[in-house]
Parts: sequence; structure tokens; C-alpha cells
Amino acid sequence: MSADPEFENLVKLYYRDLYRFGFSLTGSEGDATDLTQETFYIWANKRHQLRNPTSVKSWLFTTLHREFLKICRRRKGVTHEPIDESAQNFPHVSADVVNRIDAQTLLDALGEIDEGYRAPLVLYYLEDLSYKQIGDVLAIPLGTVQSRIARAKIKLLQLLGETKPCTPA
Amino acid sequence: MHPRIEMNTSEAKEKLLLYRGPIDDADPELREALAYAHRNPELAEWLREQVSHYGVIRSKLREAEPPGDLAEKTIDNQPILFRRDWTQILKLAAAIIISATITALSMKFWQRDGHRLIRGREVVVKGEVLDLTCYVAYNLSGPEHASCAGDCIRDGLPVGIKAEDGKVYLLTGFGAHVNAELADYAAKIVTVKGKETARDGFAQIQVEEIRKF
Repeated sequence: MSADPEFENLVKLYYRDLYRFGFSLTGSEGDATDLTQETFYIWANKRHQLRNPTSVKSWLFTTLHREFLKICRRRKGVTHEPIDESAQNFPHVSADVVNRIDAQTLLDALGEIDEGYRAPLVLYYLEDLSYKQIGDVLAIPLGTVQSRIARAKIKLLQLLGETKPCTPA
Repeated sequence: MHPRIEMNTSEAKEKLLLYRGPIDDADPELREALAYAHRNPELAEWLREQVSHYGVIRSKLREAEPPGDLAEKTIDNQPILFRRDWTQILKLAAAIIISATITALSMKFWQRDGHRLIRGREVVVKGEVLDLTCYVAYNLSGPEHASCAGDCIRDGLPVGIKAEDGKVYLLTGFGAHVNAELADYAAKIVTVKGKETARDGFAQIQVEEIRKF
């Protein structure tokens, strides 16, 4: 039994959500595991600074995202194709194509999207958060959240439309 | 009041691109776009496809399962937690401040009255800026603690420096300015120049100059 039941309960409650967020951001099991653990350890060290204990999940997501951005800064070599802010064409991708895309292809496509756009898009898909809550987690204004999700979604669908989904042999 | 201009298909699509289902029904702009889609079969079909894509992508991302032992490993490797008893911290801070004040007053008294004074020698010390309260009470220092240390120093708690040889000094000299000068350098390396004095084995430097890196 843990010497710190509060820490243990928090881990059990949120480790899956945090891991999925980290995995969708990085596409790597190792990175997602490290990000999840690091996030909980930061909480353990800073819990006394948390002003609103009811927003702990949001705080954990914010912290994981910050740690993710630190990883990105350390691995500067990767450059992403810039998102076209003026794009108005909504790509047509058939339901069949999307249904047959495997998880790895989806992660690869997400990995092609600039980190600033990827994080709101991932939260949009993974969590039942309002756009305002997504903005709070990522510390960006509501309008920017919506605009980034829209542009990133168009980009993701374009990328998925260009992929050849796995077909059974 | 101006008559309301109805949105066109392109504007409705732009709004509905974000539509995920009932979770977004409270958004008035999305509600308006949904109403428009109900009157436009082609747009309604496009919307059904978008919502279906959303559901498929969401479920694929949520399929990811963490390693089976992640929760246990995280709990087992939990850092040793130091519960902060603010009463204790304040007591310790008060004790350090009183000690420093007595040291400073004693030195002034000795200087004024010509008593035998163990004069402080001029030193230059390079080391990590510490929030002395958390360091002494909880052994907290280093980059992981930088944010908290910065807050504590800014709030006026005693500030110190840990020299490269491991010796720790209380920093005094500029009054409140020492804290203001060093709060942003918590857990970072600086060089201070000043007079080293000691009282009952407790070392302090009366700071004359700070060099930050």
C-alpha cells in the first residue's frame, strides 16, 4: 500500500487519460509513459501550489502538455509543414477510408501536424472538453482554439485521404 | 434592430467542421449552423460524414492502452514527499530572520563600541541560489524546486547560496533587495561578493555585489 493514498488515488484515476494524451501527442509509448510519470511527480512536488483542487485533471493535462513542449524544444530537428490558415477547402474523405485507417497511420498523420495545432486537435478528439476548457488547458484564447482545431482537422483529413489504408490480404 | 443575416453553406460548413455531437449542442453558433443543415440535405449528409469521422478517429485514439504496470510503477517510484507544515515553515523562517538580525546588530554594536570583532573576510562565492527555508526544512533545491523557491524568495523568506564546495550561507546585506535581486535566479548559479561572517557555526555573507549568469 502506498504511503500517500492521495497520490495513489490520483494516479489510478487519471493515468489512462494522461497516457492517451501523451501517446496521441508523441506517437511513442516510451515518451507517453515518461510524460505520464513526470506529470504525476510534478504534481506530487507542487500540489501545495494548486489553488483549485477541483481542477486537478485540467492541471495535469496542462502540465503534461508543457512537458511535451519541452521535449519538442529539445528535439528541434523535426519541422512540420506549415498549416494553411486560409484553407477553406474541406477535403472529402470517405467513411470507408477513415474506418480502415489503422491506429499507427492515424498517429503518423497527427505527428505531421505542428505541435501548436496538434495539442488542441488531440484534446478535441480524446476528451469531452468544451472549447473554452481546451483553451484553459493549453493557455490559448477560445477563438484561437477553434481556429487551430479547424485547420488541424482539415490537415489531418487531407493526410488521411492521401494514405493507403491497410487492406486485408 | 438590424435584421439577422442568415449564414450561407460555406459559413455553416466552417462552423459544423467542429461539431462533435450533443456535447456541442449548447453552442449558439453551432445550433444555428445545425438548423441550417436541417434545411439543406447536401450539407446534412456532409455533416453526418464529419460526425462519423469524428467518432471513428476518437475511438481509434482512445484504443491506446497504457502499459499494464504503469500505474503501479508510477506509485512505486513516487518521490519522497515532504508535507509542508506552514506553521513549521514560518517558525523556521522567523528563527532564521531573528538569527540574521542578531548577527547583523551584534556586528554593528561591536563596530561602534570598538569591542573585539571577528571581522568578516572578503569572499567571492559561486553557487546555487537557495530558498533557505525549504532547503533547511525539506532538503528541497535544484531545478525541480526552482518555481517554489522563486516564490518563497520573492515573498521575503531567507535566501541563501550553496557554494560549489557544499557550504551554505545565508545572504544578507541589501535588506529586502537581496530577495528582489535573487528571486528570479532561484536554483540558478550566481556569484556573490561580500563579507563572510559566522555566528554559532551559521555562516552568512553580507552581500556587496551579485553577478548573475
